[in-house]
Amino acid sequence: MIDFHTYPIMIKELIEKDPSLGIHIRDILGFYFPPQPLSVFLYEMDAAGIEKSVLLPIDCSITHHCKIPSNETIADLVDKNPRFVGFASVDPNSKNSEKELNSSITQLGLKGLFLDPAIQRFGINSKEVTYPLYQICLELKIPVLIHCGLNWSPKSLARFANPLDLEEVAQDFPELKIIISNLGWPWYKEAIMLAMKYRNIYLDTSVMYSGIPKEMFSHLIGTLIGKGVFERNLHFQIIYGSNFPRVDMRRTMRGISAMDFSVDFKKHLFLENALTVLGKEGKS
Amino acid sequence: MKNVYKEFNLVSKNETELINITENVHSFVRTSGIKSGLVFVISFHTTTGITVNEPLPDLESDIATFLNKIVDENQEYRHARFLHSDGQMAVNSPSHLRQALLGFEVFFPIEDGEIKTGSRQSIYFVELDGPQERKYCIKAIGE
Repeated sequence: MIDFHTYPIMIKELIEKDPSLGIHIRDILGFYFPPQPLSVFLYEMDAAGIEKSVLLPIDCSITHHCKIPSNETIADLVDKNPRFVGFASVDPNSKNSEKELNSSITQLGLKGLFLDPAIQRFGINSKEVTYPLYQICLELKIPVLIHCGLNWSPKSLARFANPLDLEEVAQDFPELKIIISNLGWPWYKEAIMLAMKYRNIYLDTSVMYSGIPKEMFSHLIGTLIGKGVFERNLHFQIIYGSNFPRVDMRRTMRGISAMDFSVDFKKHLFLENALTVLGKEGKS
Repeated sequence: MKNVYKEFNLVSKNETELINITENVHSFVRTSGIKSGLVFVISFHTTTGITVNEPLPDLESDIATFLNKIVDENQEYRHARFLHSDGQMAVNSPSHLRQALLGFEVFFPIEDGEIKTGSRQSIYFVELDGPQERKYCIKAIGE
């Protein structure tokens, strides 16, 4: 199983090495619990039955003057542990963003691009700022994961993260694999509409707004959306992601597992769709 | 009156886990220099417990299993919301309730420089919301 949405933050070894990272994690992302050793991240994966985790950094060097953490740090974590798959982040508002994305993929070996428009504050459908990055993703055959909807960061602005703004992108880049995180919540209807209409739009399940995960998934997927919508329409476009450490992997996994999806859907939810998005590299 | 104090860290690997710390406590008392007094073992967390029981793997398994059954995860807990003071979803009310059942401390007498326990009594640090790095302390007071 792959967890497609995790953040390597509040990791004791990284913060001890760079104390300013801890300050940025607190002030920009709003995490206040004690940092934990990297081993706890791996034990958490074990406890949830996760084999590999996609690590997501956030480069907000223009908007908030920091990288949480850097792409080099992500590459270093991946080099030291084969259970990690690293994504790159670049700040779309930076004039160096295209060059940095290129080098992060071709030289550091990262496997995708992560964008967090609510924190980085850019237009996800901006032809000037963002389209050149989408073009590079297309050329390098890597996916782009975009955090949409609710963002718990105290510095985020949700108006930048409406998934409906991705419709034009889906049309202009039909071969680009775009993953909308968080099921787009509270704009989950818009996110699902896009995924139903465009085969290059994927959704990750990293939503968490209230209640224990089992209760929340049951209400959102079982009652509001309908399990059949996932099973019938989005069988090959839903990807499991926890949003760790906003919520723990164990309870998230138990919550979505309790949805009683078909065996084949679960195979795609927890593994196959992630491998499809990551391409051959992800299957190693 | 003499008193000796020390803090200890450990890393749990599972959501619910009984970690036997008996030898640590015995060793602490022996090196404390206290011949007669009391030793306290105290957890610093609200989702871990300290308890005493017989050190058998089947009992350890039963305690973990039935703590989880007694406090069922699938209830309508109020503590199931975003916790701004942590920046995380607070979804661990069952862990807090299990801790309330166990308590967070134990104490034993010290006599002749040794901790006085029953022959089957072992001291456990009980993880109830792991994996996490945790901390507990031991304090001995006496003469």
